[in-house]
Formats: sequence, C-alpha cells, structure tokens
Amino acid sequence: MAVRSRVQLPAVGEAQASTPPSLWARLVRNSWALASLAFLIAVVVAATVGPSLYQNLASADIQPLRAPDYQDYTISGPAASWPSAVHWLGGDDLGRDTLARLLTGLRVSLAVALLVETINIVLGATLGLLAGTFGGWVDQVVSRLADMLFAFPGLLLAILVSAIFGTAAQNVAGDIGRLLLVSTALALVSWPLMARFVRGQTLSLRQRDFVQAAEAIGARQSHIMVRHILPNVVGLIITAATLDMASVVLNEAVLSLLGLGIQPPGSSLGLMINQAQPHLEQNWFQLAVPGLTLTLLVLAFSFLGDGIRDALDPTTR
Amino acid sequence: MRGFLLRRLGSALFVLFSLTLLTFVIARLAPGDPIMQMMGNRRDPVRYAALQQQYGLDQPLPVQYLQYVGGLLHGDLGMSFQYPGRPVTTILAAGLPVSLKLGLGALLLSTIVGVPLGIIAALRRNGPADRVITTLMLGLFSIPSFVLIGLLVWLDLTLYKAHWPSLPVAGLQQPASWVLPIFVLAASSMGYIARITRSSMIEVLGQDYIRTARSKGLSAAVILTRHGLRNALLPLLTVLGPSVAFLVTGAFVVEKLFNLPGIGNTTIQSIGQRDYPVIQATTILLGVAVLMMNLITDLLYSVFDPRIARQG
Repeated sequence: MAVRSRVQLPAVGEAQASTPPSLWARLVRNSWALASLAFLIAVVVAATVGPSLYQNLASADIQPLRAPDYQDYTISGPAASWPSAVHWLGGDDLGRDTLARLLTGLRVSLAVALLVETINIVLGATLGLLAGTFGGWVDQVVSRLADMLFAFPGLLLAILVSAIFGTAAQNVAGDIGRLLLVSTALALVSWPLMARFVRGQTLSLRQRDFVQAAEAIGARQSHIMVRHILPNVVGLIITAATLDMASVVLNEAVLSLLGLGIQPPGSSLGLMINQAQPHLEQNWFQLAVPGLTLTLLVLAFSFLGDGIRDALDPTTR
Repeated sequence: MRGFLLRRLGSALFVLFSLTLLTFVIARLAPGDPIMQMMGNRRDPVRYAALQQQYGLDQPLPVQYLQYVGGLLHGDLGMSFQYPGRPVTTILAAGLPVSLKLGLGALLLSTIVGVPLGIIAALRRNGPADRVITTLMLGLFSIPSFVLIGLLVWLDLTLYKAHWPSLPVAGLQQPASWVLPIFVLAASSMGYIARITRSSMIEVLGQDYIRTARSKGLSAAVILTRHGLRNALLPLLTVLGPSVAFLVTGAFVVEKLFNLPGIGNTTIQSIGQRDYPVIQATTILLGVAVLMMNLITDLLYSVFDPRIARQG
C-alpha cells in the first residue's frame, strides 16, 4: 500500500510535504543557529532602544557612584563598584554606569560590523564577481590587489591605518570619524577574502551547464553575471559576511583595546575591557561584563553563519 | 621542483614589495608635518631645511621610496622622528628578544600540546576523551585573548590571596613570569592546531592504505606513526603560516595587557608619539616574519610531499 501510494501521483497534502523545506525552516531547525539569531536580535534591540529606556528606568541621570565597600584594595582612589538596584551592572572606576556603557558599546560593535560587511559586499563581492566573470586583466588587477593586502598578517594593516589616520579622523568628524576609520581599516583586511571566495565560486559556476548554455545562445557576459551567476553566489556572500561579523566584532574590540578605536570619553567593549583590567583584583565583575558579552556576540555570529551555510547547502552536514 | 621554488620565491618578493610600498605610502599620506612636529612647531626655515635633508624628505617621493628600500636592504630602517638621532634598528632591537621568545614559545607550546591532543581525539573519535578535548579546544580557539587573560589573572590572584602557589603576573624577572603570557598567546592557535590535526588524522585513518596495513597485521603503533602521522601532519604544515599571523595580532594584545616591552608595545608607543619610521619598520618586520614562515612551510611541504612540487 505504501509502495503503491508512492508510485501514484501524490495528493495535494503529500505534495506539500514532499517539497524540500524552505531555507528559513531549515535554519530554524538548527537550534544553535536559532538561539544565536534570537540573541543577536535581542542585542540589536537592546543597543537601539536600550540606552534611552535604561536611563528612564534606572535613574534619570546616572549618579556618580561611590567607592565600593572594599577592605583590601591596594590601588587608592575609587575602584569599580558592584551591581545594585540603581546601577544594574554596577559602575566602572570613574563612577560611570556599566550597563549604560555596555549598551552604547554594543552600538559601536554593531555599527562597525554592519559598515564593514556593507563595504565587504559592495567592494569585495563585486570585485570577486567581476574578476571571476571577465577574467583577463580584470582578474589580474583584482587578484594582485588582494594579494598585496594579504601581505599584512592579521590585523597589522588595520592597526597601521587606524593608527596613522586616527587623530585626523577624530578632528574632522569626532567619534563618528573614528568609527568610519575603524570600519574602513577592518574592511581593508577582510574584503580580499570575500573577493577570493566569490571569485572562486564564480569560476566554478562558469563551468556549469546552465552558464555554458547561456553562453552558447549568445548571452552577453554582463547578462550571465547578473542573471545566472549572481543568484548562485548570494548564499555564499551572506554566509561569508555573517561569519566575518564574528571576527569584525572581535577585531574592533582589539583596536579599541590598543587605544586605536573610539576614544575614552566614548565607550566600546574593547575600551571597557582595557579599563577594567587594572582593577581586576578589586572587581572582576566589571571585566566579566564586557568580556562575556563580547564572547557571546562572537559565538552567536559564528553559529548563525554556520547555520546559514548548512541551511543553504544541506549536503555539507 | 626548481620551477616551484622559483615561483614561490617570486610571489614572496611580490609580497615583500607590497609590504614596503603600502607602508611607505600610508606613512607619507599621514597628516601633519613630522619635521614641524620635531621642531616643536617653531618657524625656523634654516633648521627646517637641514632636518628635511637629514631625513631625506626633500627628495621627490619615488626617490624617497627607492632610498627607503635601499636602506632596508642594508638593514637600515631610518631614524626615529621621536628620538632624533636614534636609529629605528636600536629601538627595535630592544623589543625584539621579548617578542621573539614570546612568539616562539607560543608556537612551540601550541604545537606540542595541540598535535598530541588532536591525535588522541582522532583515535578516540566520539568517545568521552574526544568530547572533552574537542570542547576544550573549541573553547580555547573561540575565547578572545583578553577575556582569557582576565580569567587566568583573576584565578591566579585568587590563588595568591589564598597563599597557594601562584604565578607572577607582571614583569619578566623570573622564568615563571613567561608562563601566563605564552599560554594566552598560544591558546587560540593551540585550539586551531588540535582541530586540524584531529580532522586530518580521522581522514587519513579512513584511507585504504591504513586498512591494508592493518590487514597485513602491522602493529597499531607502526600504523599510527609510519602510515598515519606522516600523512596526517602534512596539512598541519599549511596552518603554520596562518598560526603565525594569529600570533602577531595576539602579541599586540598580550604585550599590551601584560605590559611586556616587546615589538607590539613598541609599535603602540610609537603610534602615540606619531613616530612613523618606527611604525613602518615594525609593520615590515612582522610582515617579513610571517612571509618567512610561509616560505619555510612551502619548502617543507614540497620536501614531504613531492607531488606538490611536481604539479607546481
């Protein structure tokens, strides 16, 4: 009976069941990816509306905190304080509310991640697509340019660029200028990788029958690129961009930590870590808050990226 | 083989050229006049011209670049802007031993811990040992170094307060002072190396020649060392390059947070003082270190796997 029904034309209900689950359904089935997505949405909401909401909820103007009741601290002066009803996550050594700083810091992390991936997609993916489709001198120029930038190991180029132009960017446009500079510097490090991924995928797609067929009936290269290749690399681009956000968030924190990102009156996760480090002995909690947040953020972006990759291509699992 | 090596050398030279050109261009694009800054912004055309000539900044840019590269070839990295009359090489030489010990120590530690753990995990695949090792290594790979530093230093301080044996967290006077910085620096590449070793070992153990060796009745130890390891460790060579790149970025953070007088800290200090020749020099030095590592990797790879060189 079961065998016969499989041979017969499926009923309507069966047809729906037999169509492959949508991308969304496959992504949601992966519990790690789903949890990461939920966490990231919560973070985005918190960073967007959090700062104004928290100020109203907790204290109209964040009061300077008093020195903690600590018996054995060695550094004189006010050290960081512990969580309380008014200051939910306590305050830093200068008496600034930690939750308020964390929320503003998250804005920086997310803004930088968004900016870098925008540049990555607009610049890196486009160049990779062009290089893969047209080949020849276009490919040569793009590939050599990428090779040049690959010459700098790790974050070195980003450190160099944000160090040398930091003061100028600050003078021209303040914190926004720094933010743009840091994003540009980090994008400089990550677009060649995006270009290389997309170029590779494009090259392999060009060998596929449907592209060869399009070429055979005389379609123009630009038409093939936009109509046949682009739809097939979008998944790769989204996956690569999501995975890259994990490293961008981390790298932004490293730049801030080294004093090359947002400058002290402002706040970012890296700065908070740098500032809490010397007071670790008196108050580990002030280091744990930005540290843990950052770790979770990095993990969430990686799990989400992995989830998207698996959902796009179920054969990789 | 010769063609392969020549091509590798060619691409290394291209990378070297890119490094010098880009650092040169970036430093020249830097806003502000270094000579005016050196003179404390006083107007003194005679002294200005003299200094400009001394630093070679009166020449056209292409000539400056050629002079810069020419100097590099002679091991002359120019003069510091911040400490007039002090060659950049002297400044670098002060930090180099610290960074070298730190970096080599971390590379060694991550290999001698990461490789055996990866092998054990592969041999005990999906068993409890594998689970523990895989989780631990994923943790070490993912945890940001500054979070790890915080955690370890806090633990260490807690031990110290309880009058238990603990490690020094500042200074480099005792050999034990190196333990924490080297471990933190090694952590992420240790996780990376263990993961690569595990997956590559699992792949090799599934190959036909391992089954053949087993059916021949060879002992497990011989199969593991002669047939397994030899092939499984090859992919590991390719990750040495990226590992060193990890270490370079990591060294900046570790040197900064442990306050160690290495190349990373020298760079950060020079950034604060806008001492461009020093920044340029450290960038090139670190780039060259990674470049050398990649070249050595390529060489070793072609020695261990002759097919690579033959295919080119």
